[in-house]
Amino acid sequence: MKKLLVFFMCCTIGISACFAQKNDRKASYESWENYEITTVKVGVEGTKFVKVWGFGKSVDKAIMSAKRNAVHACIFRGLPGNTSANSTPAILNESAYAANAAYFDAFFAPGGPYLAYVNMTTDGVPSGQDRRQVKGGYKVALYIQVMFDNLKNKLESDGLKKKLSDGF
Amino acid sequence: MKKILLLSVVLFAACMTAFGQAKKPIIMVIPSDGWFERNGYVMEYDNMGTKVTVPDYETAFKQNSEIRTMISAMADFMAKEDFPIQSLEQELNRIKNENAEMALMMGKNAGGSIAETPIERLRRSAKADIILNLDYTVKRLGPNKQVEFNLQAIDAYSSKIISGNTGTSSVVSTSTPSTSVLEESCLSFKDNFLAGLQNYFDDLFTNGREISVTLMRYDTCPIDFEEEFSINGGNYELADIIEAWFADNAKEGRFSLDARSANRLRFNQVRIPLYAKNPLSGKETAIDASGFVRELVSLLKNEPYNLTVGRSPKGLGEVWITIGDK
Repeated sequence: MKKLLVFFMCCTIGISACFAQKNDRKASYESWENYEITTVKVGVEGTKFVKVWGFGKSVDKAIMSAKRNAVHACIFRGLPGNTSANSTPAILNESAYAANAAYFDAFFAPGGPYLAYVNMTTDGVPSGQDRRQVKGGYKVALYIQVMFDNLKNKLESDGLKKKLSDGF
Repeated sequence: MKKILLLSVVLFAACMTAFGQAKKPIIMVIPSDGWFERNGYVMEYDNMGTKVTVPDYETAFKQNSEIRTMISAMADFMAKEDFPIQSLEQELNRIKNENAEMALMMGKNAGGSIAETPIERLRRSAKADIILNLDYTVKRLGPNKQVEFNLQAIDAYSSKIISGNTGTSSVVSTSTPSTSVLEESCLSFKDNFLAGLQNYFDDLFTNGREISVTLMRYDTCPIDFEEEFSINGGNYELADIIEAWFADNAKEGRFSLDARSANRLRFNQVRIPLYAKNPLSGKETAIDASGFVRELVSLLKNEPYNLTVGRSPKGLGEVWITIGDK
């Protein structure tokens, strides 16, 4: 009887640990804090050319996630530099999302206004090293041109960012 | 009634606009001295046995297309930010034309010429409140080339670096025109540079403008800054009294006394409010260093000091005050 109880307890702990791990992984993939982005090269005037990863249950969802991440990085995280391109500071600080949650929830909603600032530079579905099947879905990398200056102007005209000349 | 209401609204809006605008700093791109030296745009002269070189701005702007490209690219993105930069080349031309015209001007009735002291002539030079000090080198890497750049935004009065950007462009073939690599470099540092400038302006609006004030004594002045005066039952040196004025009037009392002697006082890192009441009009107006020290000048002119005081502004952020003469 005792052995059965111990066995039952072990099973319960094991199953809950598995679920917790799965939930952790899911939360980690879906978190705003957990995406990878690199600057590929200096974009043409007013744009940023980046490689960004996204995660989703299907490849299509992962692509949408990558596009959303690219715009999110420009606004809140900034873009890292590389040997031939300087880093780009974030347009707003991190606390701006919480302070304007309703605005940004609508901005980043599926099919939301953020899509107007994203140009995909490659046609078709990512393949090879840029498309990885992971537990629970796909992780894909996209080469994206973000319309950085337009995005900044939009946030300025919506009153979320001060213009350089404000106050003068 | 409606008209009066409309007029009041318009007047109120005009007042608010006037009050809401701080004095806009002049920004100018000036290539670094090192760039002039490396590219051979220097003039040499003998200063009592020592060879001295000074940048030859005119020749550089006439002959070097690369520097014009860089300045144009920077002027373009600054104009898009509603912050046009002043052209050094055009400013030098303007001064040249001004000199020529002033030399020829003659009064219609008495035939007098335009009065100008040597110091006034010296001060009529190209000036900026924020200097964008630009330097770059095009490096050869075998069959390729690369641009190394360095851009510093410097507060002309405190010499503090507001924003510094360094980096390298991508490696391109030597057949690629240098101008396109330079434009790429400019786009590379653009957003980082603008963010640095924005931080500087945010600080200016929060903590006030940072200025320098220098007080000097003409040898004809009967007293110096160590002269003692009796104030509120105590004896204080004039320098102490002036320092106390800064403590009372600088924003949150923030300033530092950089130099103090019998003949010279220099206050720097003086934070001043962006607006103050104009004693003539009684309205709140945007002020600069010269406007800020107006009350100090008035204090020194009156009892018990009774000094002759001169005030010479040297841009938005620096002013010289002389005692004993103007």
